[in-house]
Amino acid sequence: MKSNINYLRFGLLHRFCHFLIIISFFGLVLTGMPLAFRGYDWARWLYELLGGYPTAGFIHRICALVTFFAAFIHFIYLFYNVSVQKKKGFFWGPNSLLIQPRDIFDIIGDIKWFLGLGKRPNFDRWIYWEKFEYLSLMWGTLVMAVTGLILWFPVQFTKIIPVSVASIIDLPGIALIIHRYEAILAAGFIFTIHFFHTHLLPEKMPVDESIFTGKITEEEFKHERLNQFNRLEKQQQLENLKVAPSSLFVSFLTRLFAVPVLITGLIVTGLMFSALLVWAL
Amino acid sequence: MGYYPKKSLKKEFFSSLRVFRLSVLMTIPFCFALSPAILFAGDNGPCIECHTKPEKLKVAEKAKIDPITGEIKVVPMLIDEPTFKASAHGGEDFFCIDCHQDLDGVDLSEGHKPNLKPVDCITFCHDDPADEYLQSSHVKLMKQKNKDVPTCKDCHAGLSYHYSPLGEKSPRDVPRGTDPLHRKLTIESCGSCHEEYFDSYRNNAHGQVAALGHTTTDVPVCFDCHGKHTILNSSDPESKVGKDRILETCGKCHANANASFVKHVEHPQIKNINYYTKLMVALKNARNDPENFKKVLMNPQTILCVVFVMYVGILAFTFSSFGLHSLLTWFATVRDECKRKGHDEEQH
Repeated sequence: MKSNINYLRFGLLHRFCHFLIIISFFGLVLTGMPLAFRGYDWARWLYELLGGYPTAGFIHRICALVTFFAAFIHFIYLFYNVSVQKKKGFFWGPNSLLIQPRDIFDIIGDIKWFLGLGKRPNFDRWIYWEKFEYLSLMWGTLVMAVTGLILWFPVQFTKIIPVSVASIIDLPGIALIIHRYEAILAAGFIFTIHFFHTHLLPEKMPVDESIFTGKITEEEFKHERLNQFNRLEKQQQLENLKVAPSSLFVSFLTRLFAVPVLITGLIVTGLMFSALLVWAL
Repeated sequence: MGYYPKKSLKKEFFSSLRVFRLSVLMTIPFCFALSPAILFAGDNGPCIECHTKPEKLKVAEKAKIDPITGEIKVVPMLIDEPTFKASAHGGEDFFCIDCHQDLDGVDLSEGHKPNLKPVDCITFCHDDPADEYLQSSHVKLMKQKNKDVPTCKDCHAGLSYHYSPLGEKSPRDVPRGTDPLHRKLTIESCGSCHEEYFDSYRNNAHGQVAALGHTTTDVPVCFDCHGKHTILNSSDPESKVGKDRILETCGKCHANANASFVKHVEHPQIKNINYYTKLMVALKNARNDPENFKKVLMNPQTILCVVFVMYVGILAFTFSSFGLHSLLTWFATVRDECKRKGHDEEQH
């Protein structure tokens, strides 16, 4: 029996940013990955499909700008929350996305659960691996943005370093290697770890709709984040978060968008993994 | 449109017909004037007229002895016009007679002599490249160390890649330097000897695009940076990638290329096991030979290799640990689900 009570988990801004990131990330991966796997036929095919040289490069740069825009909105939001609204709990407490001491206990609890030595731990608003994903997204975006800009404007960036340094530290060369392998790391991470931790869990298959509709049922809420549920109930804030359940049509639209995207990601992972196998065998 | 009376339309039609007939009659004498009678420089028409039509030729193919190698080849007498036009020799200001000079001024009304002189490419046209080539590192190596280096034919014989539809591979149809497929094949030509540089080129920003099959003039191939006949070792300041000329070479594409920019490593050794061996040896002998160790450490390749190895480590660690984590989450969730179902059934 599914309860009909729904709560708001993600605000409009977060859902919009996630949507922007999906669009730009797929654009970046599909136009960039062929270059990293240049020796394989599928890479050539994919590159031609997306316009080849130089069109795929232009798509790549436009998607990079979309990513910058999403990051910009996110940091404006954070800045507004912390310094204008003076909201507390940004650095500390259950609402913080930074690593807290209790995360260590959660990790130990989770390992016990994996081994069948205990029950699944009760989590609060952000589970430790969600925090890790968020922080690695922030770090990864920064690394990709800096190295990407160096590759976009190599002449301008090398101008700022003296020749004696440039003859030891090859800025564009380092940027290319970091950009390539950080991209493989990011794409591989999102298309496997992120997908299997959130969307493709047996209980969520095929997609966790809450990041698209913003809504989570009471049953899911209690199962996933019991501590947060209890905390909000105690603080009597739970009533404020109650929303009407999403309609079947919205649910259908979500799946219509998310399922092809998930499948595309898994196919790209499969191709990348096949390249690893070819290399290893 | 119904404004015009019918009569005037009819009149107009007949008058235009008259003009047409008159113009046809007046062109006929010009057609005779252009008939293939005597060959002049400045016109390929008379040659193309017969050499594209088998029925107009006395023999369709002919046996020929190569004056240099002595090979006997069967050469077709037909020319594939589109292939020729697209080739390096197919320009507007270049004519058959320029090479087949013994046909100059020949009266064609009874056909020309059956055997023409072999074409001499070098004496009249391509003498400069041969001269330049003699100055290059390739020839220096041949002279000093008696090495087996490529000569003209090693590169150029294989380069008229497109067998014309007639099945012929002729120096006549040698492709232009801007032809993407030709440019791509030159990478493979150079790479067939310089394997290490071929591999490292493909790890670079330029080479990765070329490896995906894009070799238009926007994407530099070997000869764009290293030159064609005048290839010199990069340690030579006169080389196109030497310290005197590298700003100019990079600047062809990268406007305002500066002295720091041209220090970029075009051939990263990140996937070359030999470089790692060299690094390890230098590290091992650091105490005995600090000079060499310092030299290796200051080489920009070293940082590239360190960054590469670091990333391989990060990739391996992240995917193994988090992959295991997601798998375990999956199994544990399924296990809980099964338990819960069993519970539900017991209660019912």
